[in-house]
Amino acid sequence: MAADKWVYMVTAQTPTNIAVIKYWGKRDEVRILPVNDSISVTLDPDHLCTVTTVAVSPAFDRDRMWLNGKEISLSGSRYQNCLREIRGRAGDVEDKEKGVKIEKKEWEKLHLHIASHNNFPTAAGLASSAAGFACLVFSLAKLMNVNEDPSRLSAIARQGSGSACRSLFGGFVKWEMGSKEDGSDSVAVQLADEKHWNELVIIIAVVSSRQKETSSTSGMRESVETSLLLQHRAKEVVPKRILQMEEAIKNRDLASFTQLSCADSNQFHAVCLDTSPPIFYMNDTSHRIISLVEKWNRSEGTPQVAYTFDAGPNAVLIARNRKVAVQLLQGLLYYFPPKSDTDMKSYVVGDNSILKEAGLDGANSVENLQPPPEIKDNIGSQDQKGEVSYFICTKPGRGPIVLPDQTQALLDPETGLPK
Amino acid sequence: MATEKWVYMVTAQTPTNIAVIKYWGKRDEVRILPVNDSISVTLDPDHLCTVTTVSVSPSFDRDRMWLNGKEISLSGSRYQTCLREIRSRGGDVEDKEKGIKIEKKNWEKLNLHIASHNNFPTAAGLASSAAGFACLVFSLAKLMNVDEDSSQLSAIARQGSGSACRSLFGGFVKWTMGSKDDGSDSVAVQLADEKYWDDLVIIIAVVSSREKETSSTSGMRETVETSLLLQHRAKEIVPKRIVQMEEAIKNRDFASFTRLSCTDSNQFHAVCLDTSPPIFYMNDTSHRIISLVEKWNRSEGTPQVAYTFDAGPNAVLIARNRKVAVQLLQGLLYYFPPKSDTDMKSYVVGDNSILKEAGLDGANSVENLQPPPEIKDNIGTQDQKGEVSYFICTRPGRGPVVLPDQTQALLDPETGLPK
Repeated sequence: MAADKWVYMVTAQTPTNIAVIKYWGKRDEVRILPVNDSISVTLDPDHLCTVTTVAVSPAFDRDRMWLNGKEISLSGSRYQNCLREIRGRAGDVEDKEKGVKIEKKEWEKLHLHIASHNNFPTAAGLASSAAGFACLVFSLAKLMNVNEDPSRLSAIARQGSGSACRSLFGGFVKWEMGSKEDGSDSVAVQLADEKHWNELVIIIAVVSSRQKETSSTSGMRESVETSLLLQHRAKEVVPKRILQMEEAIKNRDLASFTQLSCADSNQFHAVCLDTSPPIFYMNDTSHRIISLVEKWNRSEGTPQVAYTFDAGPNAVLIARNRKVAVQLLQGLLYYFPPKSDTDMKSYVVGDNSILKEAGLDGANSVENLQPPPEIKDNIGSQDQKGEVSYFICTKPGRGPIVLPDQTQALLDPETGLPK
Repeated sequence: MATEKWVYMVTAQTPTNIAVIKYWGKRDEVRILPVNDSISVTLDPDHLCTVTTVSVSPSFDRDRMWLNGKEISLSGSRYQTCLREIRSRGGDVEDKEKGIKIEKKNWEKLNLHIASHNNFPTAAGLASSAAGFACLVFSLAKLMNVDEDSSQLSAIARQGSGSACRSLFGGFVKWTMGSKDDGSDSVAVQLADEKYWDDLVIIIAVVSSREKETSSTSGMRETVETSLLLQHRAKEIVPKRIVQMEEAIKNRDFASFTRLSCTDSNQFHAVCLDTSPPIFYMNDTSHRIISLVEKWNRSEGTPQVAYTFDAGPNAVLIARNRKVAVQLLQGLLYYFPPKSDTDMKSYVVGDNSILKEAGLDGANSVENLQPPPEIKDNIGTQDQKGEVSYFICTRPGRGPVVLPDQTQALLDPETGLPK
């Protein structure tokens, strides 16, 4: 080929995930090996996802990456580890149509351009690192024809960001802590796919936060170093919960799923509070949401909604089915109404067809909401506008996929630069 | 004497106390025996106290009690237990001046009138039960000439309210959990008196709370029943902290005192969060105060202020000395100014001579405050009026005393009814 200017690229989409049995604490900071197993639910990438385009060309003079349109540095060890591990497993690639042929041994010398985009704001605290690193690893594996299954790829994504390993699968996923020092057995495995329990509806409350939060990486390190409760949790409590949660998922047992999710979320936050200095991820709004759900579950006899919170104030609420989700949304909008003149379609995003089912698509529909009958007035009054920035309605979703449509690529196919 | 109408009475004053190594969880609900030792600081009764007048007369037809002016029932087991235990220890009493003679065996047949008054609002969440039951037991012991030392009396007060046992002494007090089933060795002992470490200045921030809080009694029971972290705390962590805290007090080692107080307060709140349903006693304001203190302590190199929170959002801040307390108060008033037109003398109560030392007694003095230099702007802005209802400035204080002055009695000496 004349003046090797070809550009070969692949675009992929990856979901994010939310842990229901939490990862918090590493036994190895370099390889990112956790002190306990964790289990997560993958969220529907139609609503929350990362799209990444990876491109290779002899014309590229160095590795470059753009995140949400802004060029970032790839020099950090997490990116370097992922790139090195993936390159080390690259295979032969041939694209007859384009006349591109890359041999295994050439990958080391070729440079990459990477563009990645989250369809949700980073400030929303919705674990963009997990989706991001999973997408990077998945798309590079596709580009370089890496012959490894998702669990083996998850071990690479793990080294970018621990929870990223769980985004290599859809549905319900477990990250096994492993026991080897090299981390080769610290991988994600799928417990059940996204269709296994597809009645579940997930509503995320994106809670307004004044505070800059402690990063997960430094927070969990401080917990490992200073919390006297963490090791007990990791060694004695979590192993049993992991077994019980696997059973609950297998049996679609929402009562157990709820009891375990809520208890583990609270214990994770308890360990953060037991850290020195103490870490507060949840705020008064988070607590009010928990109170709402706890009271409702108790009044209904059997749990209807599970809650879980990550390293931030956002609430992830998992409803038993669509009908319950509609009632939940009505209750949430009663207690956390939007500011005046807010378009409901921007206050409830994702699958906002739920607005119509909840009777909340018309004008003044929020003012007409009745207080949920089961809940005593202990939650506070309906005057907390602005506590919740917006809601996202979603569900358990599929794992990473290639996006074959060229129009979805984030890099220009001629230049390899961001469109 | 003709138609026995004599009234014999005693009035006593008792302090309240704040635990620095926390009591949370009973091994025996009836005798009120805890799952671990606890250590407290007694607060100066000049600022926070309960005054109780107890009186006896053959003309009283039944036991009666008035609390803060309102008659209450004595039928509950806690009151009944205290009354029974004290009565059975009643001795011979003679008041020659009044011509009253009561033999040991008469106490069982005589009825009591009791009036009790807290000089701080119950709604302030300042542990009025502790001071209240301690005062009841102490004043009855004086009335009935009970020949028992303060530790033995504490075992009776303990059966009214666990933490009441610690209010039988001034200064620094330990409640030894004991091991006997009958609780006779679950008593309070004094570690050091109130003069021992008299540099310490205590500032309490009474935080506004919208929420009705979970009572300590039911809260700690739920924690014992549902928290998987509590037993580990009680068996493995607290015993070591008790030994270290005794050392810290003995050596007036403020750095260790601070580290232990703060971590134990946080761990207590952590096990509350690990309860099902979770219990949130601290709120966003409590967290902001903690952030303020943590940042300040770290910027100074060696800790200046310890914090601790009980079963509510109020912050109890213990400053190394007066100078530090003045700086602390200035920082607190900067971040938590009073609402406009608030008289400073009602915003900082107790020992409010500190206002003058802090330059905060003049008009507009709060507006003129500078932000504390050490603290980055991560606490939030100076626009949180009303988050703190008021502050109390106090210090470690003495134990219970008899008030011999008749004008301080709460019951009329003729009728035995509330004045």
